[in-house]
Amino acid sequence: MTWALQAEWTKLRTLPSTVWLVLGTVVGTVALGAAAIAAVDIAQCPSPTECFEDTTKLSLTGVWLGQVTVVVLGVLAMTGEYGTRMIKPTLAAVPERRTVLVAKAVVVTASVLVAGAVGVVGSIIAGRILLPGNGFTVANGYPPLSLTDGPTLRAAVGTVVYLGLVALLSLGVGAVVRDTASAVTAVLSLLYLVPLAAGLVTDPQWHDWLDRLGPMTAGLAVQATERVDQLPIGPWAGLGVLAAYAGAALAVGALVLSTRDA
Amino acid sequence: MEATIEVRGLRKQYGTTVALDDLSFDVDAGHVTGFVGPNGAGKSTTMRIVLGLDAADGGTALVGGQPYPQLRTPLCHVGALLDAAAVHPSRRARDHLLWMARSNGLPRRRVDEVIDLVGLSSVARRRAGTYSLGMRQRLGIAAALLGDPPVLMFDEPVNGLDPEGISWIRGLLRSLAEEGRAVLVSSHLMSELEDSADHLVVIGRGRLIADTTVSELLATASKGRVDVRTMQRAAAMALFANAGGTAAVNDRDAVTVSGLTAEHVSGLLDAAGLPYFEVTPHRASLEEAYMDLTRDAVEFAAPPVGEPR
Repeated sequence: MTWALQAEWTKLRTLPSTVWLVLGTVVGTVALGAAAIAAVDIAQCPSPTECFEDTTKLSLTGVWLGQVTVVVLGVLAMTGEYGTRMIKPTLAAVPERRTVLVAKAVVVTASVLVAGAVGVVGSIIAGRILLPGNGFTVANGYPPLSLTDGPTLRAAVGTVVYLGLVALLSLGVGAVVRDTASAVTAVLSLLYLVPLAAGLVTDPQWHDWLDRLGPMTAGLAVQATERVDQLPIGPWAGLGVLAAYAGAALAVGALVLSTRDA
Repeated sequence: MEATIEVRGLRKQYGTTVALDDLSFDVDAGHVTGFVGPNGAGKSTTMRIVLGLDAADGGTALVGGQPYPQLRTPLCHVGALLDAAAVHPSRRARDHLLWMARSNGLPRRRVDEVIDLVGLSSVARRRAGTYSLGMRQRLGIAAALLGDPPVLMFDEPVNGLDPEGISWIRGLLRSLAEEGRAVLVSSHLMSELEDSADHLVVIGRGRLIADTTVSELLATASKGRVDVRTMQRAAAMALFANAGGTAAVNDRDAVTVSGLTAEHVSGLLDAAGLPYFEVTPHRASLEEAYMDLTRDAVEFAAPPVGEPR
């Protein structure tokens, strides 16, 4: 297993695309977060004290963009093998196929967790800098964002874990589908179509159910720091839903990888 | 570990296409075994099954007495070049070998050794996508040699190589066998193996056609044929036909007769008073022997030129 890990890590770090995708995750997360903060001003609220803005969640909006490169990185770790026919030397070097999948899962998730942590910390810093300028000041009841604040820390750590689980989901789908374009499309649809569909549903109960079952809406419940008791699903339970999707995708991926001809 | 490949009763079907049909053969240490057959005969499928990449529908393939998937350091037991294009184009050639070395716990030093061995030192830092087919073949051979394995399998290794590369491969194959390794080399062209293989496994349509040595195969193909050179070709051919032989024209003054012995042929010519200046037992070329063997096993054959479809 150690050798398989070393092999997969060597593979991952020696591809230029890995560097770009990891950078893309960081930049995408921070940039969209900053843009989201800039778009909200306390002047738009009826009164500064009646804004009820969840500034932590607002600052972490960037994962909507940052996760796209995570999906590509996760999918490519598997589909890149088939696209380049590298799967042959890979399985000749490590014939135990589940070992290959586990090794890929470890190195891809580790890279994404690091990129996610940098992106999330960057987003919180962006929030500290930009929020007061838009009226979210201590005087209006908004202390600066801080990771020493329990709910904010939970939201930040949860967002990093969210990105790691998205990477695992993508890797699993890549192992099942084997084709880059199809796998990326499948994962992105799964993530974005549910919130889009929920937007079209007017019945509040159905709406809540879609939010609970969608891997992205459920997973990102962990970002909420205000009115947590009113969420369709609890923060950690939401990540559990995403973890279930990732686990199922990896299980089917492992089955397909072990049973089908390479 | 013993340097052998043992293939027993291998069967493989893709959909309705039978790729391998009860194929058995051995590859022994110290020899280059040529694995020949027309395109689509099942050579690559056999090698994929030996490496555990494809699962056989029946039969077994063992390397050194063990199924490949059970080997803990497979690269140290079997080196294989199946598909020279199977590299990531964006990865540097050296890094390609490095991940393979890591996967089997081999030292980084070994990567530089095999790069030197195949003559890629000056271009090892280039991305594999910039490599020509010939350079990729060398990179694939470097990968196969990485674990210094006792068993080697090369699928069409001379494809895309220039004459210098081809003679280098032939020398390499022979020296690997002389070191006591078992070497299996596939080709769809017998001529490519003529100077390097000692043993031949000939397959067609997934079945074993011949498992023999080069000299035995040549003897079989030459048997019962006589080369005749005479200025009176037409008359001689009529004479042979009457005597029950078949004659094929080779040249303006040359025919090859089958079904008659050399003594019988010269006797016939003498009795008829036909002048001739050569009657010798036929010496078949390896290519000719191979064509005879595989004539019925060619999967995609064009009709002979000039014949109506």
